[in-house]
Amino acid sequence: MHINYWQEIKTNSLGRIGMALLVLVVGAALLAPVLAPFDPFAQTPDSLEPPSGLHLLGTNDVGQDILSRLLYGARISFVTAVAVAFAATALSLAAGAAAGLIGGHFEKLVMRLADALLVIPPMLVVIIAAAYIQPGMVHLVLLLSLLGWPAGARIIRAQTLVLKEKIHVRASRTFGAGPLFILKRHIIPDLGPVLTAIFIRGARRAVFMEAGLSFLGVTDPMTVSWGKMLYHSLKYVYLDVWQWWLLPVGMALSLTVMSFTLIGYSLEEAMDPRLRREKHA
Amino acid sequence: MDWQIFLRKRKFAVFAVLFVITAGAAGLIAVGCGGEPEADSKKASNLSSVEETIPVYTISDPTGDWGYPSPYAHYRRGPGYIRMSLIFDTLVWKDEKGQIPALAEKWHYNPEENSYSFDLKKNVKWHDGKKFTAADVAFTFTYVKKHPYNMIDCSQVSKVEVIDEYRVKIYLSEKYAPFLNNIAEALPILPEHIWKEVTSPEEFIEPEAIVGTGPYKLLDYSREHGTYLYAANRDYYLGCPAVQELKFVKVSNEMAAPAMERGEVNFAQIPPEMQDQLAGSGFEIIKTRYDWALKLMINHRKDPLSAREFRHALAFAIDREALVENTRRGYALAGSPGLLSPDSQWYNQDVAQYSYDPEKSAALLTTLGYHRENGFFTKNGKELALEMLITPEYERDGQFIKQQLEKTGIRVNLKSMEPKTLDAMINDWKFDLALSGNGSIGGDAEILNKVILDQTFISARYDANRELTDLLGEQLAELDPGEREVKVRRSQTLFARDLPFLTLYYPDWYYAHDGRVKFFNTPKGISYGIPLLLNKAAFTDIRG
Repeated sequence: MHINYWQEIKTNSLGRIGMALLVLVVGAALLAPVLAPFDPFAQTPDSLEPPSGLHLLGTNDVGQDILSRLLYGARISFVTAVAVAFAATALSLAAGAAAGLIGGHFEKLVMRLADALLVIPPMLVVIIAAAYIQPGMVHLVLLLSLLGWPAGARIIRAQTLVLKEKIHVRASRTFGAGPLFILKRHIIPDLGPVLTAIFIRGARRAVFMEAGLSFLGVTDPMTVSWGKMLYHSLKYVYLDVWQWWLLPVGMALSLTVMSFTLIGYSLEEAMDPRLRREKHA
Repeated sequence: MDWQIFLRKRKFAVFAVLFVITAGAAGLIAVGCGGEPEADSKKASNLSSVEETIPVYTISDPTGDWGYPSPYAHYRRGPGYIRMSLIFDTLVWKDEKGQIPALAEKWHYNPEENSYSFDLKKNVKWHDGKKFTAADVAFTFTYVKKHPYNMIDCSQVSKVEVIDEYRVKIYLSEKYAPFLNNIAEALPILPEHIWKEVTSPEEFIEPEAIVGTGPYKLLDYSREHGTYLYAANRDYYLGCPAVQELKFVKVSNEMAAPAMERGEVNFAQIPPEMQDQLAGSGFEIIKTRYDWALKLMINHRKDPLSAREFRHALAFAIDREALVENTRRGYALAGSPGLLSPDSQWYNQDVAQYSYDPEKSAALLTTLGYHRENGFFTKNGKELALEMLITPEYERDGQFIKQQLEKTGIRVNLKSMEPKTLDAMINDWKFDLALSGNGSIGGDAEILNKVILDQTFISARYDANRELTDLLGEQLAELDPGEREVKVRRSQTLFARDLPFLTLYYPDWYYAHDGRVKFFNTPKGISYGIPLLLNKAAFTDIRG
C-alpha cells in the first residue's frame, strides 16, 4: 500500500484545514523570538493590563506580555508533540514489529507488558514521578513516550502478523532473509500508513497531556507553556482578563489538537478504502 | 356503625396528633434557641449581646476538609482548630478587646508557688447533659501529658490540683509567661466521662468524640465534600448563639464572590481585586492583620548557605518591595528580617533590613571567594547553583526570586511540588532554598521559639547563636512585660543578623461578609494566635 501522503492531504479539504492550522502553530513556534514583542519571562509591575497598542493581548498577573507567552508557548506544545510522537512511535514499532516477527515467549512477554502499561493512567505516573525527579521537558518527553507506546505496539503487531504471511515476505524468507532485513525492506514500508496514524495520534495526545500536566503544576515552573497559562489565568476568572488571557490560550490549544485530528482524519480516509468509497459514492 | 365511629375517632386522633406536632414545631421555631428567657440569655452571655437570630449562616472555604472536628482528629492547622473550637471550650478565650472568661469565671497567678488558680463556671453542661466540673480540667491536663495534643504544648504544666468541684490550681514546672495565651486560651477541655476510656485519641471518631461544652454541636461532616454543619447548643452557658445553623462549604476563593452575590454564601475570603465590587454590592470587607509570613527557608547546615555572609548576600539580592509589587500586585507588606510584622506588639523595627542592593550582594560573594564567569559566580571551577523548592501556589514568587538571584549571578533551579512533599523535604533538610510560610506571628512572642528553635519544618532549627538561644529561653520565663519585651526585641535583632531564614512578605487577606455577624480581628489571633476571623465569639453578636 503506497500512498502519496502530501497529495492526499492536499486534495482533502479537512486535511488542508488541518495542515494550515499546523503551519500556523509551527510558524508561531519557529518565529516566536522575532514575533514576540517582549521577553516572555520579564515580570513588570504593569499587571492585568487590558489589550492595548503596546500589549496586544494585555498582561498577566505578574505583568508579562500575554502575546509573547502565547507565541513561546507554541514552541513547548510543538516540540513536546513531535518528540513524544516520534519516540512513542519508534518504541511501538520496535516492540510491536519484533513481537509479531519473533513470536513465541518474547511476543507473550512484550504484549503482557503492553497490557500492564495500558491499564496505568499515564497522568498519574507522571505526577508521582515528578515528586522524585526534576520536572522538565526532557523527563516529560521520556515519561510520556515510555507510557505511550503500548496501544501503537498492539496495532503494529497485528499488522506485522498479517504482513509476514504475504507472499513477497515469505519469498524473501525462503531466500534466506533475516528478521532485520525483512523488517527493514518489507514490514516498515508497508506499515507506513499505520505508523503515520500512530504518530499523529501520539502528537495530539502529547499536546493535550503537556497542557494538562503544566496545568497541574508538575512541569518545570519556568516553562512557558499553554497549560501553565491556563492554570494561571483560571485564578483570575472573576476579572475580565479571561477574555484576553484564557480565551486565546484555549483557542490555540484547541486549534493545535484540531490540526492533528484533521490531518489524521484525512490520512485515515486515504488509507481506508471503505471510507474513500463512502466519500465517492 | 361501630366501624364508622372507629374511623371517625381514628381520623380525629390523627388530626389531633398532627396539630400537636405542628403547634410544637411552630413553638420551637418561635422560641428559637431553646427555652431560655431572652433576658437571662443576654445576662449570661459574656461573649457579646444577641440582637436577633440567624437561621442559617454559610461560610465558604477553598480547602473544605480540615478533618473530623474532635481535638485529636482535626488537621493540625488553624482552620482545623477553628472547626474544633466551635464544639470545645477552653478555660479562657478572646474577643475583639482581649481576654474574656470562658469555662473559667476568674483566675489569678500565684507567684510564690508558680501556679494559676481558676474558679470555674457552675452552670456549664456537656452536650450530653452531664455536669462540667474541675475534675474534667484536671483530667484534660493529665490526658494530654499521656497523649500529647500536637497543637498545644503543655509540657510546662507539672501538676493540676482540684481544690473543690469548681476550683482548680495549675502548677507550672518553671516560669512560663505565655501560659494564659498558649495554654489556658488554647487547650480544649475534654469530658472525663468520655475520654478516660480512650486509648487511641487520633482514631476516636465516634459521635462521643465531639461532645464538648462549646456553642455548637456537629450535625454533619463530609470529608469527601469538605462540608461541616453545626447546630447551636441551646444550653450554652454564655447564652444561645445567634446563628442557629452554621455551615462550612467548599468554594474556591475565585468563585466565592459570585457565590456571595447569589446569596449562597454569607462569608468568604475574597481576592483583593474584588473588594470594591463586593463593597459596592453592600458587603462588608475586613482585612486581616499581618499575622502570616512567607519565608525563604535556607538550609544553613549546608555549604555555602552555612556562611552567614552568604545568607546576607542572598537577602541583598532579593528586592522584597518589588516582589510584593510584582507577584502580589501590591497586596502584601514586605517582610521584616526579624520575622514579626508591624502588627505584632513585639515588633522590632530596628533590625538589619537588607534593602535591595545587588552590588553589595556581589561584593559579599567576592569576599567569600567567588568570581563571576559568564554572568554567574563560580568557585574552584564550579558554578554557584542552588535548588529552590516551591509549591504551585508560590510559583510566581519563585520565578521572581530566581530572576533576581540570577541577575546577581546566583543560578537557581526551581522545583515545584505538593505542599506536603515540600514540608517533608524541608523537614529532612533535603533542600537549598524553599518557599514556606507560617501563621501565628501575631500571637505570643513564643512563636519566635517555635520558628527558630523547635524541630519542625516551619522552624529554622537554628541553635548556632548561643546568645539568641539563651534569650529565647529567658523571654519565656520573664513575667515582667517590659523586661520580656526587651528580650524579644533583642532576639529579633540577633535573628535578623544571623538570618537562618528570610521573611519575604506578609500577604493581605480580605474577607467579605453580609454584615449580619460582626466579625473582628482577634488581638494576638484566635486562641494561640490563629490569624483568621472565625472567632466563635462573633456568632453571638448580631447587627440589627
